[in-house]
Amino acid sequence: MTSALISAIKRLHISVVPQVRVYSSNVAAAATASANNLSITKKDWAFQPQYTKPREVWIENLDTVEEQKLGLFELHPLVFAAPPRIDIINQNVVWQRKIRFVSWAHTKTRAEVRGGGRKPWPQKGLGRARHGSIRSPLFRGGGIAHGPRSGKTHFFMLPFHLRLHGLTTTLSAKLAQDDLHIVKDLELPTDDPEYLNELIEKRNWGPSVLLVDDTDLAPRNIIAASDTLGHINIMPVYGLNVYSMLKHDTLVLTLSAAEKIEERLLHWLHANTLKEQQPFKLNQV
Amino acid sequence: MTAGVRHNVSFETNNIVLIALVAILYSLFKMATVWRSQCAFARLFAGKTGQILNNATDLGTKLGPGSQSVISRKYSTYGTSPYITKIKEQYDYEIVKNPPEWAYVQRLLPFDTIPQVTPKESYPSGWVPPKEEAKSLPYFLARTKNHELPIYLNITYRGIRQITKIKRIEGDIWLLNDEIKQYLKEKNKRYVETRVHEVGRFIETKGDYVNDLVQWAHSKGF
Repeated sequence: MTSALISAIKRLHISVVPQVRVYSSNVAAAATASANNLSITKKDWAFQPQYTKPREVWIENLDTVEEQKLGLFELHPLVFAAPPRIDIINQNVVWQRKIRFVSWAHTKTRAEVRGGGRKPWPQKGLGRARHGSIRSPLFRGGGIAHGPRSGKTHFFMLPFHLRLHGLTTTLSAKLAQDDLHIVKDLELPTDDPEYLNELIEKRNWGPSVLLVDDTDLAPRNIIAASDTLGHINIMPVYGLNVYSMLKHDTLVLTLSAAEKIEERLLHWLHANTLKEQQPFKLNQV
Repeated sequence: MTAGVRHNVSFETNNIVLIALVAILYSLFKMATVWRSQCAFARLFAGKTGQILNNATDLGTKLGPGSQSVISRKYSTYGTSPYITKIKEQYDYEIVKNPPEWAYVQRLLPFDTIPQVTPKESYPSGWVPPKEEAKSLPYFLARTKNHELPIYLNITYRGIRQITKIKRIEGDIWLLNDEIKQYLKEKNKRYVETRVHEVGRFIETKGDYVNDLVQWAHSKGF
């Protein structure tokens, strides 16, 4: 009874006060029009889009199974409308796989295989080929010449701008394929996994969903709901990467996460990156 | 004749150089004597000669006990070494947040991002600003983050192959290609081969046409 009353009051509050985006700490929202609770946000970026129009997306909610459109939101075309460079995406995926890969394949050389210290037969006089050891690579059961030796790292660093454009092109591809959704926040009414499953099913989101928030701490309900579901994962903004975005069918960003991603990527697209490009260069003096 | 004149001149200069050398040597000798006497004076009054540093000629600065503990010393054993004490601050200071002088420090800090261009009547470097009317065209050439036109010359095969690359094309890339081809053909009186990469958003032309294309881009207002 009391909860119903509280929710009723809350609803009243929302309908009375025009929605003002509280997330916009970095960039000022220019105009916020409020008609039947729909906030339409025109953004004022530090780096204005030149020619390509900003991408518009709906702000959705997670607190009901049915989708409610809470507002309209603009995304910067440099970040969310980049050309779909699958070559750059592939380079990023290969890099992410290789950067942490260590090959433990191992073979023994002729020195490490047991035995073979004695000359098998005299050098001359038998009409047989000359050999010095039965563990030479020519022999069956001998050592392996130029075989894999364990502990081989495949670490390398992808150039800074390829990493940067990997993120923009993957985000753009996700948005173009209707696999990127913006939600207001990650608040759920229950901690039931069935609710989340039902929501994803209802909204035609992919089986696997990646939720990205700009804080390290997600709300309790969504953590509890997604805990048993292996295909629904939560990630902070600084963990966003190309591999995870491709691994999950649908990418769900919170409003603040989308703004944060946009702000950081726009910053690096317009900054002097010589210092960032330097550290892993191979031909350093 | 000329040789004789030269000889005379050099003789005179030699004289001047000699005189100057003597003067410098004399002054150096004088300075040296003064220096030595000062040093001896200092030693006489300070008593302990070991404490005077090589360059501490004036005795105005005193090295206090606080600063002396900073100097590292090797002890023979760990047990005999003294306990580490808090080093006495040599200077009194207080921490101030956002003082009025901070504005001058901020002036020296590097830019966070590459700044926008300040609009002027003309630019002495010859840089041409992009025009607003270019945005109404069906295609667009975006400036780089350094506000330059993205038109580059790639030279390969030891200078044999020259390829002009136009990057950062937005909008109708095929229309842009047609117009460039037409423009270069009229300007150079010859057919110019181009290659369009629709996904990569760039056009390559065979040959060095950087100046022509920059001129064309400026005429369009990019």
